[in-house]
Amino acid sequence: MDINFSDADNQFRQEVKDYLENKYPKHVKEKQNNGEQLTKQDMIDYHKSLYEQGWAGYNWPVEYGGTGWSPTQIYIFQEELGYANTPTILPFGLNMVGPVIYTFGNEEQKKKFLPDILEFNTWWCQGYSEPGSGSDLASLKTKAVRDGDHYIVNGSKTWTTLAQNADWIFCLVRTETTQKKQEGISFLLIDMKTEGIEVKPIITIDGDHEVNSVFFTDVKVPAENLIGEEGKGWTYAKFLLAHERFGIAGVPNQKYSLKLLKERTKDFADDDLKKKIADYEIELLALEFTELRTLAALANGGHPGAESSIIKIKGTELQQRLTEMYVEAAGQYILPYEGPEGFNSNNTPASNVSDFSSQAVSRYLNFRKTSIYGGSNEIQKNIIAKAILGV
Amino acid sequence: MNLSYSDEQNMLREQVLKFCESDYTFDVREKIVESNYGHNPETWKQFADLGWLAVPFSEENGGFNFGPIELAVIFEEFGKALVAEPYLANVVMSGSVLESSSNELAKQTISKIIDGTTQVSVAFSEANNGYNFHDIETSIEDGKLNGVKTVVLNASFANSFLVYARNGDKPVIYLVDAKEAGVSVNSFSTVDGQNCGDVTFENVEVGESSIISHDNDASQAINAMLDLANLCICAEAVGGMTASYLKTVQYTKEREQFGQPISNFQVLQHKMVDMFMEAEVSKSLLFKAMLQLDGKDDEASKTISGLKAQIGKSSRQVGQAAVQLHGGMGVSDEMSIGHYLKRFTVIDALFGNRNYHLNNFSNL
Ligand SMILES: Cc1cc2nc3c(=O)[nH]c(=O)nc-3n(C[C@H](O)[C@H](O)[C@H](O)COP(=O)(O)OP(=O)(O)OC[C@H]3O[C@@H](n4cnc5c(N)ncnc54)[C@H](O)[C@@H]3O)c2cc1C
Repeated sequence: MDINFSDADNQFRQEVKDYLENKYPKHVKEKQNNGEQLTKQDMIDYHKSLYEQGWAGYNWPVEYGGTGWSPTQIYIFQEELGYANTPTILPFGLNMVGPVIYTFGNEEQKKKFLPDILEFNTWWCQGYSEPGSGSDLASLKTKAVRDGDHYIVNGSKTWTTLAQNADWIFCLVRTETTQKKQEGISFLLIDMKTEGIEVKPIITIDGDHEVNSVFFTDVKVPAENLIGEEGKGWTYAKFLLAHERFGIAGVPNQKYSLKLLKERTKDFADDDLKKKIADYEIELLALEFTELRTLAALANGGHPGAESSIIKIKGTELQQRLTEMYVEAAGQYILPYEGPEGFNSNNTPASNVSDFSSQAVSRYLNFRKTSIYGGSNEIQKNIIAKAILGV
Repeated sequence: MNLSYSDEQNMLREQVLKFCESDYTFDVREKIVESNYGHNPETWKQFADLGWLAVPFSEENGGFNFGPIELAVIFEEFGKALVAEPYLANVVMSGSVLESSSNELAKQTISKIIDGTTQVSVAFSEANNGYNFHDIETSIEDGKLNGVKTVVLNASFANSFLVYARNGDKPVIYLVDAKEAGVSVNSFSTVDGQNCGDVTFENVEVGESSIISHDNDASQAINAMLDLANLCICAEAVGGMTASYLKTVQYTKEREQFGQPISNFQVLQHKMVDMFMEAEVSKSLLFKAMLQLDGKDDEASKTISGLKAQIGKSSRQVGQAAVQLHGGMGVSDEMSIGHYLKRFTVIDALFGNRNYHLNNFSNL
């Protein structure tokens, strides 16, 4: 055991710092650091800058255009990005459908989709959840019926994150009604421009438009967009879910936010808040090392399984606690709230913490989602109980 | 000891409940919030006609002479229905400050609040003093008022402000018309769909005649207002918590996953039991606080501080659990459930949050 990074690791860290210093798009950086909302184009610019650096596939194998980095390198990369307060790397293409395609897709699919995912020419969204199927995902009802060389898709998906920006959606669909509901599910890639798809916004309690309902009416999907075998979609979905949970804890981003909170509360007379911050920070350290232990196991040939549930639960609980402390630190100045985009710059309330407060509220409300999505924390606990405790 | 509501109090509750159920459904509320900062003049007129704007005022001022118990009854029901009308700002806060004064200007203003023809907000908070409400910079010199008040509730609709200021080192409360030269209002919507604003006073001419109270009476009036306002929003939170757990129980009985209502899952049952318990113990402390305040007990302030701290914790827990148990629906703005969480968040932030009141309680 050795807690120190190797010289090579340190050199690698310097490379990441250089990117952040010189190549990370300035306009994105500025908005991020002012807490402004990013546009679709900003997100594209950011992802493309990672691609140009050769880093978009930071956790992909080399043969598919990835970096082939070691878990330690991935960790360092994410840590530096977090410290620099970069936007979250959108997971839908790079961390979700990408790995599914290179693991289970055929050669043509790999050729057709992977380069655009890496280069961020296509924006993906995840079509799993349905109005009647959330935690019980396998009960999903969106139907895909084979008709010659096409599937005809009917049904609806919900809570689809950023579907309003998406070019493609990967969907779990029911291709067969089987005794065991998991067995009739297939994994289908659908072009969002196809006729019969309708996207409707869902506004969340922070006032943001982040999620959507997606309706499918007689949508014609080429059969070649089926991943792997018909009826095996559930296996691919589970593979993906384990990947999705990984990195969901956002330790580096939390460290950055913690630093800001400490600066903000430096002169506070409120000792209780300081103790709460310390308590939180200690748990964050524990979480970070839990993640590192999991990474070490991965490096030795393990794969993310039920342990990723620990990280999901603890990580999201801590994220939520952090947002609560921001709200507490802002006190009564949280009241003025014009929405997630913050205040018009020529009309901000007369408080020296107005931007801080507005972001505090926005994040507090927005982050309630983290214990709900990606498999709710209750469901994660069911998984741990079953898979690890064996009860 | 008697811990039962009187017939009159029960009737008042019935009346508010009936109004909320028939005239103030969540859909109606959302329209008001979206179009007009939470205030609907017609609803306000109904409040006036029902006599609710007269509730806490003395009979000689044309009121019903009701006290903290009746206000708590009203607020508990308002909390269940997420009523966004500026009742707190006008009737409770300005009402309390005006009622503590015996001068003619205060009396005239009260009568206009009661008939619904004027709205008044207390402008006391400032940008840099946090919850140290008596540590203020707004001051009067040579008959001119200067300073900036922030987080002034209902500033968008206030026709006049009760301004907490310093004259030298002496506290004083002035009544200043919103249209007076040198007064400017900058309004914002609040996170819970109401409104607040910054009110700037720049060389505003004020005379003796606009003083509502001064010296010790002025700071006492602010303290009494804070106690009453805290009590009312705590009652509102108790109502909101009750509604939150009831709606959550209802939702989990209807929502099916894994071939059964999710209310079958024991972990959710226990969470809902926790929600229920938090609402009930909060209500117990509310009883103690409102009875003490009603009886002008010396301990009332301390109990209210304790209540506010308790509510900060309980309502957060209940609000978050309600959202969590609704899954994605919980974070959707279309459902009422997330709006309770937002209101709880504002309630905690108002007039001293939990951290502030824990300190306060241990020092009192
Ligand atoms: C902001 C946001 C973004 C999202 N983005 C996407 C996306 O891009 N794509 C996508 O496909 N989905 C997305 N989701 C959907 C998300 O995955 C679901 O919300 C989640 O799976 C929960 O499902 P549900 O909302 O239907 O809640 P339900 O399943 O109805 O659950 C309600 C409550 O019951 C609990 N519960 C359910 N079953 C059990 C059980 N067996 N034991 C104990 N407790 C239980 C849950 O934990 C929850 O507290 C998103 C959700 C949100 C909120």
